[in-house]
Amino acid sequence: MATTTRMIHLGRKERPKRGSLLLLIPGVASVVLLGILPLFIVARNSFAVADDYGGIVGGFTLEHYAKLLDPVYSKTLFFSLGLGLLNTLVCVVIGYLTSYYIVSRPEGKQGFLLLLVIIPFWTDFLVRTFAWITILGSGGPIAGVLGIFGLSGFSMIPSNAAVILGLLYSFLPTAIFPIYASMRSIDGSLKEAATDLGCSWWGVHRRVILPLSSPGILGAALLTFIPTMGVFVIPVLLGGGKDPLVGNLIVTLYTEFRNQPMGAAVSMVLLVLMVLSMALVGLLLKRASNKKKGA
Amino acid sequence: MDRIVNGIARGVFVFLYIPIIAVIVYSFNAAGTNTRFEGLTLQWYADLFQDGALMQTLRTSAIVAVLAATVATAIGIMFALGLARYRGRGKGGFMALIALPLIVPEIVLGVALLSVFSATKVPLGIVTLVLGHLIVSLPLATLVLMSSAAMLDPSLPEAATDLGCTPWQTFTRVYFPLLRPAVVAAWLLSFTTSFSNIVMSTFLSGVGSTTLPLKIYSSLKTGLTPSINALGALLILLTLVIVLAVGVSQMRRILVDSRS
Repeated sequence: MATTTRMIHLGRKERPKRGSLLLLIPGVASVVLLGILPLFIVARNSFAVADDYGGIVGGFTLEHYAKLLDPVYSKTLFFSLGLGLLNTLVCVVIGYLTSYYIVSRPEGKQGFLLLLVIIPFWTDFLVRTFAWITILGSGGPIAGVLGIFGLSGFSMIPSNAAVILGLLYSFLPTAIFPIYASMRSIDGSLKEAATDLGCSWWGVHRRVILPLSSPGILGAALLTFIPTMGVFVIPVLLGGGKDPLVGNLIVTLYTEFRNQPMGAAVSMVLLVLMVLSMALVGLLLKRASNKKKGA
Repeated sequence: MDRIVNGIARGVFVFLYIPIIAVIVYSFNAAGTNTRFEGLTLQWYADLFQDGALMQTLRTSAIVAVLAATVATAIGIMFALGLARYRGRGKGGFMALIALPLIVPEIVLGVALLSVFSATKVPLGIVTLVLGHLIVSLPLATLVLMSSAAMLDPSLPEAATDLGCTPWQTFTRVYFPLLRPAVVAAWLLSFTTSFSNIVMSTFLSGVGSTTLPLKIYSSLKTGLTPSINALGALLILLTLVIVLAVGVSQMRRILVDSRS
């Protein structure tokens, strides 16, 4: 009798399992065929020999990676890395402060404030970027106001400052969401207790809120850093294309120079950078959770 | 100190809306260039709809976005339901796999697909665009659906089966009605992701399959025109409609809760 029941249970358990595996096939196949497999081809192409027209011939060479050390490429790589890190830092700091502000509002108002962040976030990326051309450009409101005071000829377009502003504007909402998510789950009484025990504003943040929201902060950093490193529209529209970023390099190599192996090598550098930054974030998250367990 | 933080945060909210307001205001600017504000006009909106080339790119973008969103949502529904019922090992692995395109820089995914299509001599066009947009919107759609599917009571489909429903009837009568808000959200999320996509489209559009963002981008390189502001204002309106259609609470779950 007991065996029969067990068999029935096993039978019921087995059936949906096989059926559910079938349902996963289209998703898995899409990611493998349109994501993973193509990435392997890029990896392969980055080591391939090119013909005079940039086409893939085959063979194996490290020449493309060696070329990355050339100042033409290395300058762009380091400039992008610097700008990417700067933007991530600024987005995370301002995102942290904004999230803290939203969390400290009453629950009903939080939804509305979040909606105010969602709308610009959802607005077309190009619209968000070209709006700054109007605002910062020679005919914009800033130039107009300065003109009244006799300061004519103002224009921030193109400039690296405009690029930094454009990057901040594009990725700030991305940084706010994860930080807000982790801050919302912090028990409000912890902050009160810390204040009662004599913690200053800085103390409360350093000892309570910052450590407890660290998963969100690290997530925000990653979600800001990865897309910032792939940006190519902002440097062209707001920076005049004078100081290209890695994204511009890849687009130029593929679409204008048709140099696939070199483009593949630059893409691989970007991919490796992402894997490294994710590993770093993973390590920091693990350390943070170990600390929590230890305490 | 709290007062300073509040000040900064309020500044952030103003900052977030400066460009949006600027685009809308300048789209009504009667001056032909962006130099001065010279009164109101609707001329730029009229110009927009008479621009045949622009309307063609709008059509391409809409076709691609509808196809990509529909396929992404269909695959996402299957994946989410499959994973919700899956009791075996490797669940985390499947979730990581479907989220993979989110963590690879989009530009790298774009060149990767371009490499495949150029190696297999597949001509670039609507099909390649759909495939490219599919892979970037699939993880978003699936994650939205997964969070809803996980909340379904597992005894419901069992009850349906016991009552004699075929798997297809279980889907149409039980799963689909319960998942409908998530399905709508996933579809609209995929649609906007595809419709505004510029990175993938840069690599995967062929001759005659220019999308709207590509067209805007190339015309911006030569200078901002007032009709682009009008187009921008319309896209802002579209954003508002979609955000409200998905619903604030749903949006909050997609953007905040699924990331925590």
